[in-house]
Amino acid sequence: MPANPTPTTTAASEDASQSDLIRFDHISKQFGNIIAVEDISLSVKRGEILALVGDNGAGKSTLMNILAGVYPQTSGELYYDGEPVSFSNPGAARSFGIETIYQDLALMDDLDIATNIHLQQFPKRFSLGPIEMIDWQEANEATREVLEFLNLDLDPGLEVEWLSGGERQLVAIARSILSDPDMIILDEPTSALSVAGTDLVKETMLQLKEDGHTQIIVTHNFEEVLNVADRIAVLYQGELVEIVDPQTVDRESLSNLITTGQRTP
Amino acid sequence: MSLTTLHKTFWDNITASSTRTNAILKSLDHMVWLILGLLIVGIFVLIPQVFRNVTSLQIILHGSVALGFLVLAESLCLLSGHFDLSIGSIAGFSAIFTAMAFSGSHWGVISHPVVGVLLILTIGTIIGTLNGLSVAKLGVNPFLQTLAFLIIFRGAMLTLTTSPIYQLPAAYFAIGNTPAIAIGLLIFSYLAFAYILRYTSFGMGVYALGSNEKSARSVGINTDRLVILVYAVSGFLAAIAGLILSGYAQSVSVNTGDGMVFPAFAAAVIGGISLFGGRGKITGALGGVLLLGLVQSALNISGVGASEVQMINGLVLLFAILLYNSKSKLREKVLQGSV
Repeated sequence: MPANPTPTTTAASEDASQSDLIRFDHISKQFGNIIAVEDISLSVKRGEILALVGDNGAGKSTLMNILAGVYPQTSGELYYDGEPVSFSNPGAARSFGIETIYQDLALMDDLDIATNIHLQQFPKRFSLGPIEMIDWQEANEATREVLEFLNLDLDPGLEVEWLSGGERQLVAIARSILSDPDMIILDEPTSALSVAGTDLVKETMLQLKEDGHTQIIVTHNFEEVLNVADRIAVLYQGELVEIVDPQTVDRESLSNLITTGQRTP
Repeated sequence: MSLTTLHKTFWDNITASSTRTNAILKSLDHMVWLILGLLIVGIFVLIPQVFRNVTSLQIILHGSVALGFLVLAESLCLLSGHFDLSIGSIAGFSAIFTAMAFSGSHWGVISHPVVGVLLILTIGTIIGTLNGLSVAKLGVNPFLQTLAFLIIFRGAMLTLTTSPIYQLPAAYFAIGNTPAIAIGLLIFSYLAFAYILRYTSFGMGVYALGSNEKSARSVGINTDRLVILVYAVSGFLAAIAGLILSGYAQSVSVNTGDGMVFPAFAAAVIGGISLFGGRGKITGALGGVLLLGLVQSALNISGVGASEVQMINGLVLLFAILLYNSKSKLREKVLQGSV
């Protein structure tokens, strides 16, 4: 439990507004006796980059997984564009325009970029019953377009095992934006990257924002999101303790919030 | 630094070396054709009578058809990151079960060859599906599951009958006994599977499953359904091998399909199919079949005895594994940039 949950949680709770794309309304999640997330109310505004920051066990991944349809909340309501929704699986969340890029990126090293990008949904030439024939020309063209949008000079036929960490992350982003989703959830997008790779991914996030994509970045390292996030939601031991403005927040107090649930040690 | 410049710097660092190394890796994937070429040259020099005329080539190909179907079944499983030890037993059991259904001295419940073909294919598919269900839904290790079925169905064959069955409809035998039909069916099947694996979402799903099952599940592929389907198709192909073996030998016995699973593995691996899934081409596996067929034929013509042939088959399997290991190590080195 946070050391001083009452005032900060109240401060962090938000009302729904017209521009909210997602709203978590008193969401809780229990795994057996363990409370992973407790009574979180939080809105994500359309077009913003919201960072969910917290230490290990803070509940950020649980909250992300509820939104991604990996598992349902134990209690509370999830709203999408003002309507209550419930995602029984990741495919259901995806059908609402919510794409998730997990930390492991879910890329197949043996397969080329075009295949990795289209695995969820290949463009079809025709179908013979359950057998769908892939239109590779269209798949490659669509891959080139999305890579071009991300300023990636890569051959769609190149196997993913050739790519650097930053490029792999961008290929995963390319896959997620192929269906032009409203929201992209990025789980620890820069945790395993070099400085150059991190800059590359941050630039891409800002580019996606310009293009109108709402983003949630889940991370334990607030330094990585200070210059890209519009707001930072700090979670501590399953509760939302505060939402801060990255432009004005003091780094030391933010660090304390993450590690102790309080602004001052 | 702008985004474009960052990307350019990233890419420039690896582009120069990637073209060369990519070419090395591609040639590794097609190594079977080089080995096959060398083998053909070697046989031409040492045992020229293997290639004495078109008929002898046809005999080699015809004799390789049943193995070819088992290699196709195994390759599909390997590409999906699984494997199937029971394909030989599936071929043998489905063949003997169907033969008994035909034979008047046994059950004698069917007489039309088409019914026989449908029966043998159905039995193979059902056994394959059971393999898939057990692996996908019960979480049984593929090695243990298919090893159990290898033993169960080999034992079941012995339980059903110990004497060979000869009296089956000529049209039923014709599929495996007519070189043009058997070889044509094999070539058609390889071309069809090469196409299916490259141009259908099922095929790409198989590669994805073999490359990284967890990731495949994450991107929304129904991996359980795919695993069941792969084993079902493997059983179906093994049953075709049983049908071919029946016709080729003009009889079905408890030895039908016995001892063929490891040559099938060897041919698939020599053909460039990865032991760990996600990599390899079906056409390469066909190269592996031709290579093993040639070796077998050269041994037969050279008068090598059955027990020595068995030993040499083991050596071929060892060669395949060593080849795979060397390829993997070389691949690793190439990717690390030390070659």
